[in-house]
Amino acid sequence: MNEMSILMHVLSRKLENNRVGATKKEILHALSFSHKNKNADIYFQDLIANVAKYIEPLGLQIKYNPIDNNWFITYEPEISNIIKANPFEDKPKLAATLFCVLICCLRNSGIGKVHQIKELRKKKSIIEDLKELESLGYITLDDNQLQVKLTPLIGYQLDLNKLFIKLALKLK
Amino acid sequence: MVEAKDISEELNKKIEEIQQKVYSGEIALLDLELVTLFNNLKDTLTVKNINKHSKSYKEACTLLDQKFKELKNLLGSSTIEKTFIEYLKTNPKEEEIVKLFENCWREVFYMDTLSINFLRFSKNLLCKEKKPSPEEEPIEIQETNEEFIVKIPKHKFTEKMMNYFKSIRNKLPCSFDSLFEEEVDDIKLCKSFVYILHLLQSGMLNYQKETNFLFLEEDE
Repeated sequence: MNEMSILMHVLSRKLENNRVGATKKEILHALSFSHKNKNADIYFQDLIANVAKYIEPLGLQIKYNPIDNNWFITYEPEISNIIKANPFEDKPKLAATLFCVLICCLRNSGIGKVHQIKELRKKKSIIEDLKELESLGYITLDDNQLQVKLTPLIGYQLDLNKLFIKLALKLK
Repeated sequence: MVEAKDISEELNKKIEEIQQKVYSGEIALLDLELVTLFNNLKDTLTVKNINKHSKSYKEACTLLDQKFKELKNLLGSSTIEKTFIEYLKTNPKEEEIVKLFENCWREVFYMDTLSINFLRFSKNLLCKEKKPSPEEEPIEIQETNEEFIVKIPKHKFTEKMMNYFKSIRNKLPCSFDSLFEEEVDDIKLCKSFVYILHLLQSGMLNYQKETNFLFLEEDE
């Protein structure tokens, strides 16, 4: 067992609550390297860069989920596009609601008010859409149905950076 | 090579044109696709044009750097959130929003089979104490007076054959059988026979089948 096999294990593991991979602290801990060590940052960057280099020929990449700060492995974009179609292709209504949720949540540290989302969406009721998004695992709706919270899942499945760059370029 | 040189100059001109257009505000770098330019540079690189291409590459990297800065500014601007909301206020069609999500989905890679238990098992196998292999003692070489079974002849074959030839020369010409009549030692007989065969093959001795006689050429 070497560093590479340990890293492959922690980066490709599926945990509870839609969590995948590991945080920086967990990765360093798995390798018995203290995250308090003054060289921890350099060591970690070196590790990630080297693993990324190793798995690149296999069509894999290392990604970071900003919602739960986990590092994980994905298939490279070209392969992802083949095996993972847009899940909202036939549900444009749901995609539009998710988009409004993302805008609201990301400007409020991951939590969005339902009335704000409704305002942006310009629909009489969005509760059904929110419930469906909840059943897909992308958000959690509170008991009073007043606010929603993004789950880490959307951070794994959707490249948020790419989405916002695309949007920013579109609106430029 | 001439063709490659031309391409290098062509790329330089193209980069210069882009720079001028960007500086004059004619085009925005964010609208410009630089991948083709970098691919052209990569595909036309040769040992001969490496110096020229290095300069072109440096200029192309400057363009890319500028593009990143522009994108960073765009994303970091305080108005970006407002812009997103403004976009939603324009009532974009749901289909248009679906298109925004296109190519942004990614497939997560799981590898449950590589469990920690399996890794621990592998580690234990690797770390298992291995018994050292038995040590081999070097063989002591002792001198002995005993003779080896295979004896190396003291004289070379040709030398021995010529000695035999000298010994029978005075008897020639004579019958083949007469040369072996007096010989009682079988080994010596065989040796003599082999010498005769070689002497015949080399032409030093001749044989007449009809009379069964051996003779020298000078005897003819």
